[in-house]
This record gives sequence, structure tokens and C-alpha cells, in this order.
Amino acid sequence: MSERAAVVRFQGITKTFGPVVALDAMTLEVRRGEFLSLLGPSGCGKTTLLRTCAGLESPTRGRVYLESQDVTDWPAHRRPVNMVFQRWALFPHKTVADNIAFGLMIRRVPRVEIAERVRRLLELVKMAGYEARYPKQLSGGQAQRIALARALVLEPKVLLLDEPLGSLDLKLRKEMQIELISIHRRLGTTFIYVTHDQDEALTMSDRVVVMNHGRVVQDGTPTEIYQRPNSVFAAQFIGEAVLFRGRIARVGSPRCTIEADGLLLYGQPRPGLQVGQEIVVCVRPERMRISTTPDPLLDNRLQGTVVNTIFKGAAVHYQVQVEGAGGPLVTVHQNLEQDLPLHVSGSAVHLGWSGDSSMLLPP
Amino acid sequence: MLGRLLARRRLSPLVRLGPLTLYMLIFFVIPVGTFLLYSFWTVREWDVVRVWNLGNYREVFTSPVYPRLIMRSLAVGAVTAILSVVVVYPLAYTLVFRLERYRDLILFLLTISLFSNYVVRIYAWRSILSANGLVNYLLMGLRLADGPRSYLIHTPWAVVVVLLNVYIPFATLPIFSALLNIERDVLDAASDLGANPVRTFWQVTLPLSMPGVMAAFSFIFLLSAGDFVTPELVGGINGMMIGNAVATQFGMVSNWPLGAAMVFSTILVIVLALAAWLVGQRGLRLLRV
Repeated sequence: MSERAAVVRFQGITKTFGPVVALDAMTLEVRRGEFLSLLGPSGCGKTTLLRTCAGLESPTRGRVYLESQDVTDWPAHRRPVNMVFQRWALFPHKTVADNIAFGLMIRRVPRVEIAERVRRLLELVKMAGYEARYPKQLSGGQAQRIALARALVLEPKVLLLDEPLGSLDLKLRKEMQIELISIHRRLGTTFIYVTHDQDEALTMSDRVVVMNHGRVVQDGTPTEIYQRPNSVFAAQFIGEAVLFRGRIARVGSPRCTIEADGLLLYGQPRPGLQVGQEIVVCVRPERMRISTTPDPLLDNRLQGTVVNTIFKGAAVHYQVQVEGAGGPLVTVHQNLEQDLPLHVSGSAVHLGWSGDSSMLLPP
Repeated sequence: MLGRLLARRRLSPLVRLGPLTLYMLIFFVIPVGTFLLYSFWTVREWDVVRVWNLGNYREVFTSPVYPRLIMRSLAVGAVTAILSVVVVYPLAYTLVFRLERYRDLILFLLTISLFSNYVVRIYAWRSILSANGLVNYLLMGLRLADGPRSYLIHTPWAVVVVLLNVYIPFATLPIFSALLNIERDVLDAASDLGANPVRTFWQVTLPLSMPGVMAAFSFIFLLSAGDFVTPELVGGINGMMIGNAVATQFGMVSNWPLGAAMVFSTILVIVLALAAWLVGQRGLRLLRV
């Protein structure tokens, strides 16, 4: 088996809870050693998929393969994968050391070895010295580290993480993100990480699988998904997106024209576009230039009025009401690399972006 | 004014728990304390005389009857409590983990038995267990016995059976709520970490439900050991318990000091037994280390 071979393969997994379809014929391969994020809104089936891998949920249809072995019918306690739960799920009646030792004790690992492995893991998660504490005596961040150590001590083939940072505050979450990445690098274990936080997915993952309604919407590296979203859903779920709904007015080279509520926009043509076809033009806010005079170098040019100026320190976010009958309210980001005069609300501005930055998405 | 008083930080916890303290004082400390005083007094010609002495205790512990009644009460209490926990645990477990859908209905049916008076239920059992009652009828009908079995009633076992039946709802609720409070994720974590269902039960579910088990045990033990209606009605001579003797002293004989001494002797025995158990536990733990 090659280094990048699939360690987990979900083959046509369907899971229904009564009338609710949580997973809809989902197929996905997870490669050895990668940090894969399942990203989607709540109820999109990402946690169900994770639990299917752990054996805590059995699929209605479909098979789960672990290192090419069909484990669909294996009970959870026989699967060589481990999970970090959203609310940690530490054993409240056991000390930190006994929590971590639990899986080893079940496997009848000799006492001396258990002590050594518990010590190593506590060091890995920077919690040495907390052996005798009870879960109640830990903060959220500490409890999460112990939950991580408890799962990793068994050296699982895959570590499953179910929104493990969801209940931590922002600062702690950022710290733990960095730490998870470094632990992933050091151990080389395959991580499957469930989150609804796009920032988390972008920061940590080698690969992101965007899910919605129990299906894969898009599967790719964070940059691919950010720069080339394949749908309005993916574009909006990852990063911010300014959207214009319209129709193809002319397909030419090197650019095609889109008419959206009286505005003329330009984008790069791609094969298969036909005049009259409905289309969504998607622009990232940081690709838009905002200025007091029109920029002749940019082929998309709009006029508008600043509605809100939001100062963010390193950047300014403007909400601009575009002129015209159906002119949308768009958000534009301006980096403050130099001291620029800010456009105050009410001022008339010109927006511009290059046709390369117009992403044409199916409606 | 009360608000300002409560807002002051330096109030002792005793005062901050004011309402509870008051409640305990009025309904527990004062009545029990009064009887503790009584137990050191004596009776002359149906009048309580406040002469301090240990005569009542001497009478309780040197009598051929009372120590046996005390021990029997504790034994009946312990057996009933153990049996009820053993019977109720699987029921509560099933309700919480297997029959979620019928949970409320079954709990309701269980508590409905509390709607009927306890004495009525005891009488019902009396007729079930009596010589021409249901059990004997079935035994003879199935040819398992050739005549009515007299051991069914007027024995300590009859007392245990009836107490078990009467008090089972009190044992179900604490165990049920202890099990209900266990996070499902914790059980999932145990199986995720490799524990099969049996080990998950022994390592996680049972220890986490122990507070409920202890509560159920204590309820049933105290209620049963102190009961005097059940032994009166189905216990017969051999099923008499200390409660009956106490009731007699407070009622017919009107010797409150002796009755009070019986109560505190029983409490003393329980406290000593508990202390011995705790010391034993401590000893075991020290041995293990």
C-alpha cells in the first residue's frame, strides 16, 4: 500500500433517522496521514459520517472500509480508530491519568507500560503534573487536551475529532488550532476533523470536504476551495463572497459579458457557457478596489454609495450600495498598507475588479 | 431588610442556609432531641419522671427480646434494600437505555401504585400470601404443593416480600435519575476506547450510577427497618421488628422513655455498623497501596 493510500473509504454511505436523511450516498476517501476537515452547516451529516467511521452509528446503506478492510459491521470497541468528542466526554469518576489509561487498561497493557505511555501523552498535550486531577477540576481547554491524549494514547489508525474546539473561547481556540496542527505533524496520524467553522478548516486542513444535505459539495485543498469554489454554497461557506445573479449576455474571448439587473459585468469564459444561461458572478471582497475615481485598468466598474465603514485595524470593510435599480449591497475590503483617507459613509465611490476575479458559478 | 442581611458577605453559612436550618431545627433536631432526653428519664405510675439514668438502655440491651428485634429489623432492612436494588437496577437501566419511548408511561404506572394507600397494599399482600390466598391456590393448582404452605406468611420473609413491593417505587426513582444523568457521550467514549458493553457497564455505567444506588439503598433500608405496619400484618410472632416494640411502648404501655431508648439503641447499632464498615474500607485501601 502506497504512502498516500486511502486509510478510510466511505462507499455510498446513506444514513436515515426516520424521515430525515443525514447522509445521502456519500462516498469519500481519506488518505493516510492527511488532516481532512469535514465542513458544513449543522445538520449537514458531518458528525454522522464521523460516527459511522467510529462505529457509533451504523449506516442504513453503504460500506465503510478501514485500510481496505470492510469494517461496516464491526462494533465500535473493535475498531482501531479513536474519537475526541465535542464535549470531551471524560470519565467524571476517574482521574486524568486513569482517563488516559482507560483504553490501555482495557487492552491489558502491562502497568509499567501504561504509566510510561500516559506520561508521554501528558507531555505531548502539555498537561504533565495533572495526573491526579479529576475532570471537574479542569478548565475547558485542559479537558480537551486530556480527551485528545486519551484518544491518541491508543495510537489509532485515524483520529476522529468532532468539533473539539467548539466550546472553547476564541483565543483558546486559536491556540489549540496551532497545537493540533503541530501534534498532527509530529505524529503523522490521519485526522478527520468535523467543524462548522470555515476559519478552523482553512487554518488546519490539508484537505477540506464541504458538505451540505448529506452530500459532498466540494472536495479540495483550502486554497482550491477558496479560489475556485464550485458553487454558491461553497463560495459563501468558505470566506466572504459578493454575488451578482444574472445571465450571460455575450460569450467572447478573452472575456464574456454578464448582465445582472442592468449592470454589465465581465468574467473569464469557460467552456460550455451559452448566451442567455443563468449564472452567478462571485467576487471575493478583497479583490474589489474601492476608489473615488474609476480605475480604467479594471474591466468591472460600478458606482455606489458607502453605507457603512467598518474599521478593522489592518483593513477597512465597506458596505457599499451599488447604483442601479437592483443594485446590491456589497462588502469590499481595503487593506491599509499605507495611510489612505477612509471613505466615510454617504460618500460616492467607484468599485472595480478585474475580470479574472469574477468567478462564474452555477445558480 | 432581609435582602440587605443576605447580601452581607460575612454571614455564616448557617445563617445563609437559614430557611433550611430552621426547617431541620423544627422538624428534626427538636423532636429527635426531645426523645433523646426522654430516653434518659423514667416512668413512675404512667408519669414521666425527669430522673437522669441509663436504666432504659440497660433494659433494652439486657432483655432477651429487644436485641433480637433490633438485629432482625436491620437484617430485614438490609435484605429488602439489597433485593430492591437488585430488582430495580435492571428495570431502571432498561427504562433509560432500551425503552426510551415508553419511559414516561412506565414511570407513571410505577408511581401510580403510590396512589393507593400503603396499608391497603399490605392487606392485599396479606390475602395473596394467606393460607387460602393466591399463591397457595396456584401452588396447589399446579400440584407443586399438596396443601397450603404456612411459611408464606407470618415470617420475616413475608415481611421482606411485602416491603419490597411497597417500596420499589422509592428505589426506582433515584437509580433511574442517576442513570439518566450519565452523558451518552461518556458511554460512547468507553466503547470507542475499546470497552465492550459488559466492561462499559462495570467500568463506567455502574460507578457513575452508584450515588443513585446508594440513595435507593438508604431509602429502602431506613423505611423497611423502621416499618411496623407490615410486620404487624404479615410478620406474625417471628416477623416482629423493633418498630412494633417501639409502637407498643409509645402506645399501649405508655412508656415513652423505654420506647425512646429502643429507638436510640437501634440508631447506635446502625452508626457502629457504619463506622466499622468505613474503617474496614479504609483498612482495605491501605492494604492495597
